[in-house]
Amino acid sequence: MNATGIPLKEPSVSAAAGATEQLERAYIDASTRVPVLMFYTSAMAWLILGTLLAGFVSFKLHEPDLLSNISFLTWGRVRPAHMNVMVYGWASMAGIGTAIWLMARLCRTVLRYPLLLLAGACFWNLGVLLGVCGILLGDSTGYQWLEFPGYAAIILFVAYTLVVSWAVLMFRYRRGEQIYITQWYLLGAFLWFPWLYAAGQLMLFVVPVQGVLQSAVGWWYANNLLFLWFGAIALGTAYYMIPKVIGRPVYSYHLATIGFWTYALFSSWTGMQRLVDGPFPAWMITASIAAMILAMIPVATVGLNHHMTMQGYFPLMRYSPTLRFTVFGAMSYTVFSVVGLLISLRSVAGYVNFTQTSIAYSHLGLYAFFTMVIFGAMYYIVPRLVGREWRYASLIKLHFWASAYGIGLMTLMLLAGGFLQGADMENPTLPFSETVETVLPYLRGRSLAGILLTAAHFIFAYHFGLMLLGLGRTSTVPTFLNPVEAEETSGKVSLLSSLESSVRSLSHGWD
Amino acid sequence: MFERGARVYAANGCIYCHSQQVRPAYAAADIERKWGDRRSAPRDYIFERPVFLGKMRMGQDLANIGAHASAEQASPAPTGAAPPGGSPSGGTSPAASPAPQGGAPAAASPAAKQSPNPSPATQGASPGLAGSPATASSPATAAAASPGASPGSSSPPAGAPPPGPKTGLASPSPAAAANATPGGVTAPSSGSQTAGPPWPIQTIGEPPMYSAAWHHVHLYSPRSINFDSNMPAYRFLYKKRRISDARSAEALQLTGSDAPPEGWEVVPTYDAKCLVAYMMALNQSHPLSEARSAGGAPPAAASPAVSPGPSAAGSPAPAK
Repeated sequence: MNATGIPLKEPSVSAAAGATEQLERAYIDASTRVPVLMFYTSAMAWLILGTLLAGFVSFKLHEPDLLSNISFLTWGRVRPAHMNVMVYGWASMAGIGTAIWLMARLCRTVLRYPLLLLAGACFWNLGVLLGVCGILLGDSTGYQWLEFPGYAAIILFVAYTLVVSWAVLMFRYRRGEQIYITQWYLLGAFLWFPWLYAAGQLMLFVVPVQGVLQSAVGWWYANNLLFLWFGAIALGTAYYMIPKVIGRPVYSYHLATIGFWTYALFSSWTGMQRLVDGPFPAWMITASIAAMILAMIPVATVGLNHHMTMQGYFPLMRYSPTLRFTVFGAMSYTVFSVVGLLISLRSVAGYVNFTQTSIAYSHLGLYAFFTMVIFGAMYYIVPRLVGREWRYASLIKLHFWASAYGIGLMTLMLLAGGFLQGADMENPTLPFSETVETVLPYLRGRSLAGILLTAAHFIFAYHFGLMLLGLGRTSTVPTFLNPVEAEETSGKVSLLSSLESSVRSLSHGWD
Repeated sequence: MFERGARVYAANGCIYCHSQQVRPAYAAADIERKWGDRRSAPRDYIFERPVFLGKMRMGQDLANIGAHASAEQASPAPTGAAPPGGSPSGGTSPAASPAPQGGAPAAASPAAKQSPNPSPATQGASPGLAGSPATASSPATAAAASPGASPGSSSPPAGAPPPGPKTGLASPSPAAAANATPGGVTAPSSGSQTAGPPWPIQTIGEPPMYSAAWHHVHLYSPRSINFDSNMPAYRFLYKKRRISDARSAEALQLTGSDAPPEGWEVVPTYDAKCLVAYMMALNQSHPLSEARSAGGAPPAAASPAVSPGPSAAGSPAPAK
């Protein structure tokens, strides 16, 4: 597993070798073009749909009479539709797209069997579409993140099987001895997801377990989907993007190994902490809480590793869009885990159980962490697929700030509202309706944050659409967020040169 | 019908706002809120599928919602027993309150009469909302009784134009007046924490409220019953139809602006009836050896008793 220095090293070894490598990369990138763009485009469409649904959900929560008389627009249906569109439509598809590209790059082979992926993307889209329609028509199963009715779930599973068989095949055809950290995470994610999904489906629908165990399975699934599927993809992506953009090897491979295996080991135990004080054997809940605490080990190692890698290179976030998004996401991983730990501790969990805090938590994980990393990756990958650079630096900046402020505001609102709601709920002299009243202003704040996020997504979708249509810039220099000439101080020049060379060398082998 | 009701419950996402579990007294105020008189135990759910333990409480816990209705009202036939104007006000409602909360039923009907508002229709003005003196004087349960009585008592004015109830709004609560959920029976969510009734404020008057008829009206128009409610209306589960010859026994007793025009009635669909039947069946009040009922004992005393609870599920006593 010791892979010191490889694929991330600067291709500056020698001019000739560098040129070959660049050509090879460009060739590989070109081979991934259609499948990855297909996944990305679908993901973008789902992102927009999910965003609209989210806004709808958010507003309806404090304006309950808004369009409530139409059966398929009732809050209780739009909400699972939103969650599932985001989880399976946007996050999973964007994650798979990124993973495909990374796999091809890191296995250093051209993408084989693209038909598997194309079929997978088609089936996946069909599955999500059917599932969302099913939910809106009143076919939801009522299990968190498994609301898709059976017919959609089967299609999703078929689609997934196609994708994962491709991943395994690619891995077999890899060139080079070493396996980079990102590949561990990606392979892990690819193999964990079917395990999670199959276990969830089997134990809830095919041969259903009895009684409260259903809830245990449901929460285990939801939490692990967040950790082992989305988390693993995002961490793998961050492990690739950060060193790649700054042109520097990962700080420590030993830390990375520890981080990976402890992550795999402890994450899978989590989930039951959400059932704290429920009608459950106490040991199940306690085991999950303990696992949440132990899950701080991978957080610490990964965080340290990223930080040390970035050490001295933080100013580059001023220029590189990829770096800015990815580092934001990687930092959010720490925040997400710490918040997750805090709200799992028994004393706190009883307090915030049944409040908006859990929503804050899942948004931290799925948006601040996962989605931001994936945005970063898309800013890196898409130019290499379409052969154009992003057209407007201003739009990227706008996207970043709207997303960052949006998710920050949303998290704060939901956390604060959740804690107050929990405090009120613990006070039996307060009528229940007042606990709801307490949280309403925060929900309005959340809607405001949602507007920011909506703006961010529309900006990004527009920009992405320009890229797809080939309207990006043709340039040898990637789009920097701020003009490079403006910062000619001596220290930064060297940084910039490394940034520029690494980006350019990767980006323009073919075009 | 129960199973179909559960499916309706799942399909319309009730689970995202309503939990169905009562946490033990040492951990949460659920029992003090009278959401149940003992903690939920795994055995309560053994035959349920899906299990709706819930994840969020934007609405109150429903684990024992069915237990709050009287025996006669527990029958799925909604309002069958109460044709318009037929049932004397309070006739059904006091009976509706569950036995364990002794005193509450008794208090209910007189309290309803004590209500400062002379006309039954104006009970909707929710004396409690603004913390009016009325609330302080009358036990919390009292005000609560009025909603229960409402299907019967307020139905005569139901057909009457909204102005009637509006003018009757003697209550000092400007919010309620402004909203003018006329004749609506607002659950008095009084702010009088000091009163300290045996029955927590939040559940004021709710016991008589949780009848099948009440559920239908509440699903159709939540804010007509509780002005503060944040619940969306589920009108698509109901249909408005012209009265053919006689008013259907299951038609909703709607008042004020929610009332259908003359000659029309609002009846529940089969899904709505199933949903209400399902809710009426949610009841964890039966005693279980592993989760001793708080009963008359103060909740604090219940907590040690609870510890052997989970052992039924094959686990050691909860640590804390």
